[in-house]
Amino acid sequence: MEITIKIFRYNPEKDTRGHYETYVVEGDENDRVLDVLEHVKGKTDGSLAFRRSCAHGVCGSDAMRINGRNHLACKTLVRDVGSNITVEPVLGLKVKKDLIVDMDPFFDNYKKMLPYLINDSPLPEDGKERLQSPEQRARFDESTKCILCAACTTSCPSYWANDQYYGPAAIVAAHRFIFDSRDEGASERLHILSETDGTARCHTAYNCTEACPRDIKITKAIGEVKMAMVTGKLD
Amino acid sequence: MGLNRNVSLKTALRYKGQGPFLTYILHRIGGMGMAIFITTHILATFLEGRGWKIGHIVNFVYVSPFFQAFFIFCVLFHAINGMRITILDLFPGLILHHRRAIMIEWILFIVLYGFAVVSIITTAIARLA
Repeated sequence: MEITIKIFRYNPEKDTRGHYETYVVEGDENDRVLDVLEHVKGKTDGSLAFRRSCAHGVCGSDAMRINGRNHLACKTLVRDVGSNITVEPVLGLKVKKDLIVDMDPFFDNYKKMLPYLINDSPLPEDGKERLQSPEQRARFDESTKCILCAACTTSCPSYWANDQYYGPAAIVAAHRFIFDSRDEGASERLHILSETDGTARCHTAYNCTEACPRDIKITKAIGEVKMAMVTGKLD
Repeated sequence: MGLNRNVSLKTALRYKGQGPFLTYILHRIGGMGMAIFITTHILATFLEGRGWKIGHIVNFVYVSPFFQAFFIFCVLFHAINGMRITILDLFPGLILHHRRAIMIEWILFIVLYGFAVVSIITTAIARLA
């Protein structure tokens, strides 16, 4: 089948603004959008720039707007989006070149959530791991699935309006540790999230939940963090 | 070097966030509509009190059925959507059913708004007769 793909192009060395270029390639309806991009880059225009790594929906490198909505290019089949495809970089982050955006502000916000285990208590007597029941583990299971692709944060209208807002991905990262029974840094993280640019900027547009390629119920996670801030309870 | 991160209103509105995003946009339009109405209403009352003609013109716009239909849309949608958001904020567990909640919200809105529009039209016809 013939696939028409319109791609956002921007070369910082030549262009002052972005433009679109259209390519027609032969492909199959079971091809992924990433395959189509690879085809264009490999056979038609080698100057096309986009991120990709594992190509199996795990590394989170290839988040982009496909037909107006955030997706991972490696998890989106041509048959799901049709043979006329428009590919653009995600919104709310600076475009460095073509489909590549500057992820630094995204990771800066992520780091602000202290995304690591905080526990200053002495280890158990046997000196081995801190045990956790399956129920305790299940409490934050969803938020461990995050691959930091930024599809959620860059689909959030609050983040488009204000990049100081930590964004859904950062809050999910905080959720992962706040509700971890082994962690002791919940109050510190809740304090960070209670700042102006924290959860208060979430206006429940649900774009994050809709965009997440890992099907994480992000708005629910944010809701649970909001509730923990109000009640002070982590159960 | 790189393109600015700014997202224009046009670009933002083109994002295909589907049903939930539509309610998000309409919620803001409703809020803006109410804020503009209240501001101009206060202004018109003030100007009318001063005997300025512009106050009459603004009030003439307000009694038109089209404006009333728009205003009721703003108030009703903002109120019903606000209730849904509040309920889901208070009970995060229900967020899993947000699509169903939005469907219920639309049904409730269409029924109430339908009654309101019928009432506005019949009143306008009665006024003409």
